Amino acid sequence: MRDQIKELEARALKDLEAVNDGVALEKFRVTYLGKKGLVTALMRNLGKLPPEERPEVGREANLLKKKLTEKFEALKNRIEEQGQRAFRGIDVTLPGRKPELGHLHPITQTINDVCDIFQRMGFRVVKGPNVELDYYNFEALNIPKDHPARDMQDTFYISDTLLLRTHTSPIQIRVMEAQKPPVSIIAPGKVYRRDSDVSHTPMFHQVEGLLVDKGVSFADLKGTLISFVHQMFGKETGVRFRPSFFPFTEPSAEVDIQCVLCGGAGCRTCGQTGWLEILGSGMVDPAVYGFVDYDPEVYTGFAFGMGIERIAMLRYGIDDIQMFFKNEMRFLRQF
Amino acid sequence: MKTNLHWLKEFVDIQMDVHELAHMLTMTGLEVETIDPLDLRFDKIVVGLIKEVRQHPEADRLFVCDVDAGKKSIQVVCGAPNTEAGMKAPLALPGAVLADGRKVREGKIRGVISAGVLLAEDELGLTDDHSGIMILDHDWPTGTELSELMPRDDWIMEIGITPNRPDCASVIGIAREIAAVTGGEIRMPSSKPREEGPDVESLASISLLDPKGCPRYVARVIQGARLGPSPFWMRYRLHLGGIRSINNVVDVTNYVLLELGQPLHAFDYDRLRGHKIEVRRAEAGERFTTLDGQTRELSEEVLLICDAERPVAIAGIMGGLNSEIFEGTQHVLLESAFFDPRTIRRGAKHLGLSTEASYRFERGADIGGVVRAADRAAYLIQEIAGGKVAKGILDEYPERREQPVIELRISETNKVLGTGFNASDVARCLRSLEMEVESKGEDTLQVVAPTYRVDILREIDLIEEVARMGGYQNIPVRTPSVRASEEERYWELDLSDRVRWVMASMGYTEVITYGFISPRVVEALGAAPGEPLMNFVRLLNPLTLEQSVMRTSLLPGLLVAAKQNLSYGEKSLKLFEWGRVFFSKGTKDLPEEKYQVAALLSGPVSLKKWYTEERKADFYDIKGAVEALLENLGVEGFRFKGVAEFPAYNPEASADIEVGDAVLGHVGVLHNDVKERLDLGKSDFFAFELHVDAVRSVMTTDKKFTPFARFPAVHRDISIVVAKDIESLAIERLIKEEGGRLIESIEIFDVYEGKGISPNEKALGFRICYRSTERTLDGEEVNILHERIIDRIREQTGGRLR
Repeated sequence: MRDQIKELEARALKDLEAVNDGVALEKFRVTYLGKKGLVTALMRNLGKLPPEERPEVGREANLLKKKLTEKFEALKNRIEEQGQRAFRGIDVTLPGRKPELGHLHPITQTINDVCDIFQRMGFRVVKGPNVELDYYNFEALNIPKDHPARDMQDTFYISDTLLLRTHTSPIQIRVMEAQKPPVSIIAPGKVYRRDSDVSHTPMFHQVEGLLVDKGVSFADLKGTLISFVHQMFGKETGVRFRPSFFPFTEPSAEVDIQCVLCGGAGCRTCGQTGWLEILGSGMVDPAVYGFVDYDPEVYTGFAFGMGIERIAMLRYGIDDIQMFFKNEMRFLRQF
Repeated sequence: MKTNLHWLKEFVDIQMDVHELAHMLTMTGLEVETIDPLDLRFDKIVVGLIKEVRQHPEADRLFVCDVDAGKKSIQVVCGAPNTEAGMKAPLALPGAVLADGRKVREGKIRGVISAGVLLAEDELGLTDDHSGIMILDHDWPTGTELSELMPRDDWIMEIGITPNRPDCASVIGIAREIAAVTGGEIRMPSSKPREEGPDVESLASISLLDPKGCPRYVARVIQGARLGPSPFWMRYRLHLGGIRSINNVVDVTNYVLLELGQPLHAFDYDRLRGHKIEVRRAEAGERFTTLDGQTRELSEEVLLICDAERPVAIAGIMGGLNSEIFEGTQHVLLESAFFDPRTIRRGAKHLGLSTEASYRFERGADIGGVVRAADRAAYLIQEIAGGKVAKGILDEYPERREQPVIELRISETNKVLGTGFNASDVARCLRSLEMEVESKGEDTLQVVAPTYRVDILREIDLIEEVARMGGYQNIPVRTPSVRASEEERYWELDLSDRVRWVMASMGYTEVITYGFISPRVVEALGAAPGEPLMNFVRLLNPLTLEQSVMRTSLLPGLLVAAKQNLSYGEKSLKLFEWGRVFFSKGTKDLPEEKYQVAALLSGPVSLKKWYTEERKADFYDIKGAVEALLENLGVEGFRFKGVAEFPAYNPEASADIEVGDAVLGHVGVLHNDVKERLDLGKSDFFAFELHVDAVRSVMTTDKKFTPFARFPAVHRDISIVVAKDIESLAIERLIKEEGGRLIESIEIFDVYEGKGISPNEKALGFRICYRSTERTLDGEEVNILHERIIDRIREQTGGRLR
């Protein structure tokens, strides 16, 4: 038995010498000190010894167990320490292994933000076709043929009756044709005008809004759009409504916000006026209700439309609208 | 519309400063777009009297003048043809700065001393006239600083006129708005000519053959006018208004146009055959030469003014060369008419011609103001060109138009505006706009608008006026309660959002390209006539060929964007777009508009970094992107079927993406021919395009949780060498078939071609994960199954273990 202990000790110490990582150490523990380990088995066998040998051999066995346990613990500590040391002195300023993420177009981000604001107010997002019938783009919006208001928008035609929509307003008609009041929609989309110069692109984006119900007034229009401006541009932003003309709203209003660049003091962006035009709006003209069979004596409502490029330009400080559609990576990467 | 403050002040008192005025106008609907001070610099410029003019000894075209500058007399060399002794002209002394920035110095011109400059109007910045030196009024005292005599402290305002307010395209129109807001009175200019000639009826006659096109025609005749240049003040105002000075008679008609908004036309009376005016429609194909010298082909859309024999003007648009005022004109017939807006618009559109006159007639002139305008013009002609104004006025007005009487309810006004106006508030607003207002019961007013307000026809038009005059800023602010709608949420926003975020998280950057493209790019992709890709929606009036058809695929736009970026030096590109494509259904029906999402990859997918080597993109990068996207969207069981239908790909590396019978889209490597045709350079392009409708039709929207297996998995590898043309998917299928339910997953961990195996073979490494959902698998059981699988693969593919 004593020889057995000696032999076990020699073997264990030799094994321990070869241990250099956590995995080997664990294997050592299981082999010798674990529940089914050799040392544990040895201890269990002590009972089989004659009583007179037991104390002596028992002491030696205990000594062995203690020695191995101590050595194991010491080695364990050393290995753990080494593990920590592996990270010692690394250069935390070295760039990380960074996955290259893509970027969403600033127009997409702006449309999403605008729609979010109105969705929270209870407006529902809808879409309409890019290629429209003259009827929806003009006629039903109270812009008959030979009306000077058609000069306000230079149109791309497909045929006598088909065209590329010049604004998102035809969606108003499509929605009112399809459902009865209450109507509360917001409609983002691409629009096209035959105009291309420093400050115009032949395609751009608008967001249209429409609320029709009993008892909707110009006061509600003001409240809704002021709230939008405050959420989009900040609570302190001044807003003003001034009379204007759109064939499908009356009274009509342009909505100006205090210049976001100069704060209203006057600068190049706002043409020294301190104000920036960002929205067209107005009460839905009763003539429009005639086209969708709503009773103007019962229902009133307001509509508005805004150019997304303009809002994105103000928001990001972009001074060239052409940038949006050149799709240069050095532009897109910034958003 | 450009106007200046001094002119406005002739019509109405303006106490406030110009910036306040501009703000006030803007807030009543006349948007002041620009305000510019009239920056006239007259320092060291005095009234000079030319005492003597001599020929310059060295130059035929120059004169040497002695000019009295008040305190002293100086010698000036001048080249103006109108230089004449005895006339007064602006004289710039040394140190003066001219409008173009030139500084005046004493110097020698061809050896003769010149101590100043006699100025033309353009050198003073007054008009663009440079035909000669400016002739000053003889009453102006010699030597006086010009700044004391000329208009000063004036401002030019550019005002945006909305199409509903043609009445404001005039000085008086703007003055009326100012008066309405400030409570001021309008001062009308003198407009009664002294009638001293014979009766006008004895001189001319009018006949309206198209009273619908021309409901009213008024004419006056002035005999013995002396043609010549207009006085400075008139030319100056025309110049500010953007109109070129022609001669005194024509200038008067333009002056009154700016002043009162009524377009007028002056005919040479002697050139009107039969001294007769006849208004009729043109005949198709009829030709006529307008006063700009252009011969135009007419149609029935065009309304003509004719004399007894021939056309003499295009009504409301432009006069004719054959009857225009010229230096020899003695007698003038002055036209002041009202033409039907639609007729003028159609005519102007047919002719492709837009003039100051047609602009106003198209929007609606003042049928009640034509006589006053004729009177005013006759008065001014008499004042500045002399002549005798014939007695009376010709006024052909067969069907007198009554102004509509409109009922306005106070309750409706407050309902639409959200205000609390009472009847007297409302009446006050409307009366300030020169409307006649009568009370008709408690809630109703009866309103008649002045004839120049062509936009006021309905109750709502009056409500707008009340809002305008009450001030939009005074309308309350209220938050509406938006009633919840039960209409379904539109799918596009949510899905596009999700796709965008998935693509961005994989490193793809979103582009937005134009909806219209060049048909040539689609041809370059290899599309043949008759293919759906060529079923274009074509624009009738594109800006350029590059933007002449609506896109049928997103790839052309992506390729153009990629090409641009590569030319800017970008190396690695990952782009995507979500958008619509269009397929024609003829010229009557709306085209088919479908959403697509497409991506393009080019260059290295990873660049050399401290922790990695550069790796070029390959087919499996783009394929992986589309797989990840489809999986994220909940599309199951999609497969890639070799050689896509889409023509732009290399047939060796392209596939259609299918689920069941549905084709979701395609993926592939761009064909070399396509790269060459589009001049895309050498690098490879990888792309996919998905049809969103097809994807939606196979998306699982209701995900269900699957409990995970509790028993341990056993992994076994197979490395097998097979013929190159054996598809990995076929082997995967064999494994699944043979392994049945115990196969949890298969991973291909290695694909090897090259050294050690024959060139028409490849080695594939599969790691199979075995797991039972019911028990712990026995090692031996797995070994037997694994062997069976290997045998099956060998049998079916002729492969061998590596």
